[in-house]
Amino acid sequence: MSIDPEISGARTEELVIEAREAQRDRKAGRIQRVGDHLRREWQIYLLLLPTIIWLLLFLYKPMYGLQIAFKDYSVFRGIADSPWIGFEHFETLFNNDQFIRAIRNTLIISVYSLIIGFPVPILLALMFNEVLNQGFKKATQTIVYLPHFISSVIIAGIVITAYSPSAGIVNTVIGWFGFDPVYFLTRPEWFRPIFIGTGIWQEAGFQSIVYLAAIAGVSPTLYESAVVDGASRWQMMWKITIPSILPTIIIMLIIRIGNILEVSFEMIILLYQPATYATADVVNTFIYRQGIQGGQYDLAAAAGLFNAVVAFVLVITANTISKRYSRTSLW
Amino acid sequence: MSGVSLDGIVKAYGAVQVVHGIDLEVQEKEFVVLVGPSGCGKSTTLRMIAGLEEITDGELKIDGRLVNRVAPKDRDVAMVFQNYALYPHLNVSENIAFGLRIRKEPKDRIAASVEEVAGILGLTEYLDRRPADLSGGQRQRVAMGRAIVRRPKVFLFDEPLSNLDAKLRTQMRAEIKRLHNRLGVTSVYVTHDQVEAMTLADRIVVMNDGRIEQIGTPMELFLNPANMFVAEFLGAPPMNMVQAEIVAGEGQPAAQFQGHRIALPKIDSLQNAVGRHVTVGIRPEFAEIADDSVAGRVGIDIDLVETLGSEALIHASLAGKPFVIRTDTVGQMAKLDHVSGFTVPPHLIRVFDSETGRALAGQVTAA
Repeated sequence: MSIDPEISGARTEELVIEAREAQRDRKAGRIQRVGDHLRREWQIYLLLLPTIIWLLLFLYKPMYGLQIAFKDYSVFRGIADSPWIGFEHFETLFNNDQFIRAIRNTLIISVYSLIIGFPVPILLALMFNEVLNQGFKKATQTIVYLPHFISSVIIAGIVITAYSPSAGIVNTVIGWFGFDPVYFLTRPEWFRPIFIGTGIWQEAGFQSIVYLAAIAGVSPTLYESAVVDGASRWQMMWKITIPSILPTIIIMLIIRIGNILEVSFEMIILLYQPATYATADVVNTFIYRQGIQGGQYDLAAAAGLFNAVVAFVLVITANTISKRYSRTSLW
Repeated sequence: MSGVSLDGIVKAYGAVQVVHGIDLEVQEKEFVVLVGPSGCGKSTTLRMIAGLEEITDGELKIDGRLVNRVAPKDRDVAMVFQNYALYPHLNVSENIAFGLRIRKEPKDRIAASVEEVAGILGLTEYLDRRPADLSGGQRQRVAMGRAIVRRPKVFLFDEPLSNLDAKLRTQMRAEIKRLHNRLGVTSVYVTHDQVEAMTLADRIVVMNDGRIEQIGTPMELFLNPANMFVAEFLGAPPMNMVQAEIVAGEGQPAAQFQGHRIALPKIDSLQNAVGRHVTVGIRPEFAEIADDSVAGRVGIDIDLVETLGSEALIHASLAGKPFVIRTDTVGQMAKLDHVSGFTVPPHLIRVFDSETGRALAGQVTAA
């Protein structure tokens, strides 16, 4: 390949300078455009400001404290003056059987919740969409949304009462068939089904709103066209509704996968007891016991950081896979 | 015979009646266009034919079979929608094949049908694309492909070109006409665009406020409108309307208004209407421009001349009301500078009863 003599030596240098200047101009132009945009649309950014301040104060500023995961933290010395100890807390955690058990429980509960609980709101939304009687539809929607608005403490109270061996409705029904009462909430093997079932009962209705909104966005002419083509309601659900809301389903799945290690902390605290730790103790309850109750803030911070890193990796992975195979992604 | 017959079709939503007893016979292979302003009931009528709206009263027959209570899928009709109604998650091939797959037709027959239809519509190279990757015209063709592939007895078109730009609309209009000539399927087409109606229809049905105003071929409706609504709705620019009184002229009746007099055709209904106050309709195309030298011209005040190339629109006022003349430009541009009035052949004038809006009887101009 020959080099054009014109573009060599001093000429090359000139070209490089020109290119740099052009780039600088482009950058200056971009900054000016952003400035113009901000001046023109400042009211919109003003509306955004409270949320940004909230994010900075409550999500970004606390990140400063994350460093105690790598320090021998002392309340008296403060965050800055506590000595660095590297990954010692992480080594401690991974040598702690309770932490390993907590990770295992978290994953088992989360994966079961995902597999069983994730499709339920979608099914509910699809069923609501098929209900023609508006009165019945509104009544059932209200009934299934209601548990979401009840405090977790009350929900836990209802669950404890329902599964009570003496007066609970579940044991009463079991008693009708001649069986002895079961002490559900003290039996480790029953904790997960009860916890996952309670979560679905409490949240599935409310979560179905997202899918109902997505269904409402499907053009009615798609259904009319399918009706003329001869599609049954079942075929329309499979061939129009579900594919149309698939992007929403995928986005919700990615978000759910990102939160896979965030099992409902309050509900576990409210329902578990030492007898069921074997299946009920999760990372967040472990952090709570070690950090808050045991005063080991640095160890708890390390466990929390581990949780966050895993969630971050999971969300990135799910998003990348989704982007590649379904052209739908969070970013 | 795969025609469509509407006999006293009524549509009511609760106490509100929106279609008031439509009677229409669409012959086999005929292309009928329902045209009218927004809210006139044309789309509702089409949707009743498709089975997407229940019929409140009357009888609907397709191919001689009463279908009032027959499901849309069993009516053997296919519909093309205004917004195309393409499935965004399916590619062109799957969209076209949708109706056949729903009906569980054999795969090889589906593939052959899709290939044939794609060939007819020039979509062969786009079969793997999704609707989002197509232009408006291509999407419209896919929508038509979905209808054609089922080989229905009747095509129903609900304003299929209204989402396209003017150039593409003209192009697609011609394609629809060619397609109809090729396939010869009975078609009912809804539009509010009178140009589409005039160019596509074998017969036009002009609707207004849930009623049929007139049914006829495009030229019948253009030349012999039954009432002032049809006269003003069809034609661009619309027919000029002038309030006048019928007087006895020299051997033939005339319309007289504010010092002007226009000769009218010598027919009984007009001769017997001397002294009646009427509305005189003159199409912009039928008025011939005249300068001061022309005897018997009707004087007008010129406001503006718009030159459109081969023709010009002269915006003027007559008796204090707007009056438009459409005239050729080629060879008579110099004449346009001296226009001071117009003449019009009596047989091309329409006279309407000012109270009822109906054309007086006996006025017929052959196409």
